[in-house]
Amino acid sequence: MAEKEVPLTAVKVEALVVMKIIKHGSQAFPTTATGAIVGMDVGGTLEITNSFPFPVVEMPAESHFDNAAPNPAAAAPRAKANAAYEAEMVRMLREVNVDANSVGWYTSANMGNFVNMNVIENQFFYQKEMNERTVALVHDVSRSAQGSLSLRAFRLSPKFMAAFKENKFTSEELQKSNLRYQDILVELPVEIHNSHLITSFIHQLQSPSQAAPTDLPASLAALESSPFAKSSVLAPNYDNLSLSIDPFLEKNCDLLLDSIEVHHTETNNFQYYQRSLAREQAKITAWQNKRKTENASRAALKQPLLPEDEWQRLFKLPQEPSRLDSMLNSRQVEQYARQVDSFVSATTGKMFAVKGNLLPGEVAK
Amino acid sequence: MADTDSFLHLARPLGPVAVGTAPTTAPLNVVIQPQALFSILDHSLRRNADQERVIGTLLGTRSEDGTEVEIRSTFAVGHTETTDQVEVDMEYQKQMLALHLKANPKEVLVGWYATASELNTFSALIQNFYSGQGDGTWPHPAVHLTVSTEAGKDIETRAYISAPVGVTAERAADSAAFIPVPYEIRYGEAEKSGLEAIASARDAEERAANIFTDIEALERAIEDVLGMIDRVSRYVESVIDEEAPASTAMGQFLLNTLALAPKVEPADIERDFNNHIQDVLVVSYLANTIRTQMELSNRLATAQLTLGGESGNAESGGQRGGQRGGKGGRGGQQRQERSGEEARA
Repeated sequence: MAEKEVPLTAVKVEALVVMKIIKHGSQAFPTTATGAIVGMDVGGTLEITNSFPFPVVEMPAESHFDNAAPNPAAAAPRAKANAAYEAEMVRMLREVNVDANSVGWYTSANMGNFVNMNVIENQFFYQKEMNERTVALVHDVSRSAQGSLSLRAFRLSPKFMAAFKENKFTSEELQKSNLRYQDILVELPVEIHNSHLITSFIHQLQSPSQAAPTDLPASLAALESSPFAKSSVLAPNYDNLSLSIDPFLEKNCDLLLDSIEVHHTETNNFQYYQRSLAREQAKITAWQNKRKTENASRAALKQPLLPEDEWQRLFKLPQEPSRLDSMLNSRQVEQYARQVDSFVSATTGKMFAVKGNLLPGEVAK
Repeated sequence: MADTDSFLHLARPLGPVAVGTAPTTAPLNVVIQPQALFSILDHSLRRNADQERVIGTLLGTRSEDGTEVEIRSTFAVGHTETTDQVEVDMEYQKQMLALHLKANPKEVLVGWYATASELNTFSALIQNFYSGQGDGTWPHPAVHLTVSTEAGKDIETRAYISAPVGVTAERAADSAAFIPVPYEIRYGEAEKSGLEAIASARDAEERAANIFTDIEALERAIEDVLGMIDRVSRYVESVIDEEAPASTAMGQFLLNTLALAPKVEPADIERDFNNHIQDVLVVSYLANTIRTQMELSNRLATAQLTLGGESGNAESGGQRGGQRGGKGGRGGQQRQERSGEEARA
């Protein structure tokens, strides 16, 4: 890559890729679907022009951290077999003039629950092995079903990459690097791009020819069966006006509760660590004091002194648990909270509209 | 589609069938998913400059009785065409098919597409390859989809299946009777939001659109509805003023639509509305509280060393433990509230 200096600032996704990812994601729902995306980067914009799904394979649990992947598809992008599959596919696509550069991978998510180890490890794998200019596209199946499409692009921040490479997630290190959970993922703005042919196709798909003024329908049945009543309007999507909100909020609450649970476990772990650390340190101090008094008495008796740094061999300080999980969890909670926010803002508007409609007199108040 | 042919489709032609089984003549219906069409259009854009048309393989599912074929995805296959011969990269097609089936084990080969409306001898030749035994779709008929992508004209999609013709084996190999079959473009709920985003870019100069947030999408939808209501009320007014011809059917339709508005007591609405809005706002409030608490807890966890330095570590840890306990308790309270709230909702 010649122009490595220009950082990626935006992602441009072809309509074809959007549709392919949606198809794959909704077919595999509610399990996670993953695949590779190909394209090229032009200046600071990454153009994604094609995609293909990864086959689901069992993968040995030899990952960075020893968490066994419960869902093989979620770990697919970094599986060895898939690296070969991807290389093969890219080679094949090159023959038919597709922009055959691997520029990342995509995954499907459910209600924004994508901030987890798998995503981080996959993206790390891509950003480390391939090159810096790769993104993870996240398509949220449940949120897209709610109305508007949810497709987001993420990268790992350089700071996080550096920390993850050396697995430095103790509080001391975090303090030094000043890495916060907000800094893990960098979101890039996503833009959808249509080719000329698709633009023309969409135009055709939308409008039954409206050239001549139509005659008035003869009967109700004729009206209901006319092509105008049936023609589907693609944009805007009237599903947005739906008032059913409880399932969404309920699901979100469930997920939030889960996250709180995880947070509790993490906190408890950390507290446990701190208690044992304090205990060990108390022991060490006691030992040191004892050694000192012993040495003092030995000095009084003119005996050779005992070494005072032996405690390093005798006592072992407990290992500090990695803060990574709790950081990810915090990021996840932030994600949920923002999701609830944006949802609530739309919903309250809708609800006031309904109220105003049904009780026309009270709007002025 | 702009140019939909209307034809009566009584029975499909007799395809090549295995000896002994009764030939099926049930009508065949082809369903095309938008992403398949999109990838055909994409392939057409990426053809070599000297190529008139490009071809590729159609993959999808076949209903159990074989009367419906759903085209789900496609891949491009390289081919070269001169005036007197055609060469299709069979090796490529085979490899690609194997790769594709690895990732989509449920899909099968259903046919092929070309990006020109023309049907010629080569079409028949390729069609016979795709519908043949062994690698082809045999005993099912292969579907041939043509999508014309000529500049300046409408995109025209047609679906065909074929029947063998020809008196001798040699003639039969490069001829086929293509019979048009009806098709429809069908998209599911999940694809709707995607198509919306894509369609919103259709009038933009640079053919690009950003992804909307929930509230923006809502705004657009409401504006559109308001526009439609305006149109209807204009029409009704002009009918009342006797400027436009009246229509009983239209009036009936509008009346039916108006009757859809529910009749509810104002007090009920007031109560339900207040209950619901409170629920929603409480959830939002709590979600944000949780977020703040998480952030606070994280800050405290990583900020501890600055408080007391190395020696004060144990002490400050103890203090913080207390703080955390308090927080945990608060979290518990929140949770109770929340579950009560959910029960109400």
